[in-house]
Amino acid sequence: MLADAISAERFRLLKDRGTLFWGVLFAPIAGLALNIGGELFARSLMKGAPPIPVDLVGRMVKALADGASPVVGLFVLILSTAVLAGDYRWETWRLLTPRNGRVNLLLAKLATVAGAVAISLVLYALAAALGGLFSAATSGGALVAYRGSAGVDLLGTFAISWLQLMVLAALSALVGVVTRSTMGALIVGLVFAAVQSIVASQLHEPSLKALAIPAFSGDLLKTVLLTPRSVVDEPAPWALALGFLAAWLAGLTAAALALFQRQDLTRE
Amino acid sequence: MSFALEAEGLTKTYGAVRALDDLTLKIPAGGVFGVLGPNGAGKSTLFRIAMGLVRPTSGVARLSGSPAGHASSLRQVGAMIETPRYPPYLTARDALKMLALQSGARDVDIDGWLDRVGLSGAADRKTSTYSVGMKQRLGLAAVFFTRPTLAILDEPTSGMDPAGIQEIRELIRRLAAEEGATIILASHQLDEVRRVCDRVAILAKGRLVAEGPVETLAGRKPALRLVASPVAQVLEILGEQAAADGPDAVLAQIERHEAPALIRALVGAGVDIHEARWREADLESAYLDILQAKEPADAR
Repeated sequence: MLADAISAERFRLLKDRGTLFWGVLFAPIAGLALNIGGELFARSLMKGAPPIPVDLVGRMVKALADGASPVVGLFVLILSTAVLAGDYRWETWRLLTPRNGRVNLLLAKLATVAGAVAISLVLYALAAALGGLFSAATSGGALVAYRGSAGVDLLGTFAISWLQLMVLAALSALVGVVTRSTMGALIVGLVFAAVQSIVASQLHEPSLKALAIPAFSGDLLKTVLLTPRSVVDEPAPWALALGFLAAWLAGLTAAALALFQRQDLTRE
Repeated sequence: MSFALEAEGLTKTYGAVRALDDLTLKIPAGGVFGVLGPNGAGKSTLFRIAMGLVRPTSGVARLSGSPAGHASSLRQVGAMIETPRYPPYLTARDALKMLALQSGARDVDIDGWLDRVGLSGAADRKTSTYSVGMKQRLGLAAVFFTRPTLAILDEPTSGMDPAGIQEIRELIRRLAAEEGATIILASHQLDEVRRVCDRVAILAKGRLVAEGPVETLAGRKPALRLVASPVAQVLEILGEQAAADGPDAVLAQIERHEAPALIRALVGAGVDIHEARWREADLESAYLDILQAKEPADAR
């Protein structure tokens, strides 16, 4: 059953401390360290400067919006390749496939990665908030209210970045199955994340070609979400962008499942 | 008769290599069945197909009547295919727990099984620090701890020292007796197969070349070898049941329970018996003869 496979994968990930640290915890820890380090550095440069007001929710929304950047993507790829392609590396598929269906096994891995990515994103946002609290405490800056709909913006940016990161995870599942290599999945995923980010930053018009790039779709969705309606000239094709992101995730997952179901596990 | 594993016209090719070549084999349920063959004979491929790890090029395989590789058939099967491997960050206890979760087995006595395979003292050590023998023992626990009706063991003693081989052999025999599962055992250790298995099949180049009870395949029943004098008198007393085995010995083709009476009769008749020893069926000679006989046929 799928529930059994998910329990087993979750148990296994909790025991894999290296992957947990690098894939789930490192980005939030590094984010917190950069927040605090940046604050201390800025204070040392601007001695006597007036206190800066701190918007905790705004910092969290920004962190979540930046959560699908290639840098954060690298750590998600470390997580996803270890979970999704690790059994090729350790030659342990032969241990698992007789105990549960192949579709269940791969879906359970994706579900486990999905949960871990969500936790990592939440921690990343909390790290940004902690950095804000540090800033307020050291500079004496007042905490100010978020100008916008906090719940919608937090949930929205979280969901969009999570979807973008899950596209990377699904890609590493597919490449992992095809290459039977964690390194192959990691490198292809990283190149994909970097190239799509660069290309998306060069494009401005939401054409179909541009929307087909997950990074462009994700950025467009976040822009639509966070831009006040009063300053929008014309409606952006957000539904199409969301559709493209969902299609990437579904397509890559389906392709990985189809290949894995037919794959000969002669030497994992 | 019900069959634990059936292969019908099973063929598997890897590029130009034919790992299995129209293999038809029926392994009956119950007891311990040995699968012999040199490297590349197709034993592991047969097991990988049975466990759904590999898809056959043609033909069908069934486990206990259900299509091989399907969840319905695999639920009843435990398998150790080649040297078992585990995620290196898991301890033995964690590895069994993870496999129990994966199988949906809720009430598994993990500590009890670790104790049965002699790993309770190393249960919390990471499997990456285990020796080959310890990994094999953990593999046996992983095969049997969900109480399968069929266990497939592919080279369970490969890479082990003689003491380890002896230990694993005893463990397999004990588990077979206690758990009552059908065991299919592939091995290069002919002595191991002779001691553990009831029936054997010999594969060569992906084909079945011989199959039957160990004693039948070995070509003869166990015989009592008597070093006695005078030999002629022993041959006269035993008649067609005996044959000379060198100048001072006789091979008596009798059942084991007849031995004490025969020895009493020979001593009573004035024969001096210097040595009496059972000569077991010689599977190794039979195995080599069968493979050698196969070679010229292939060459033609």
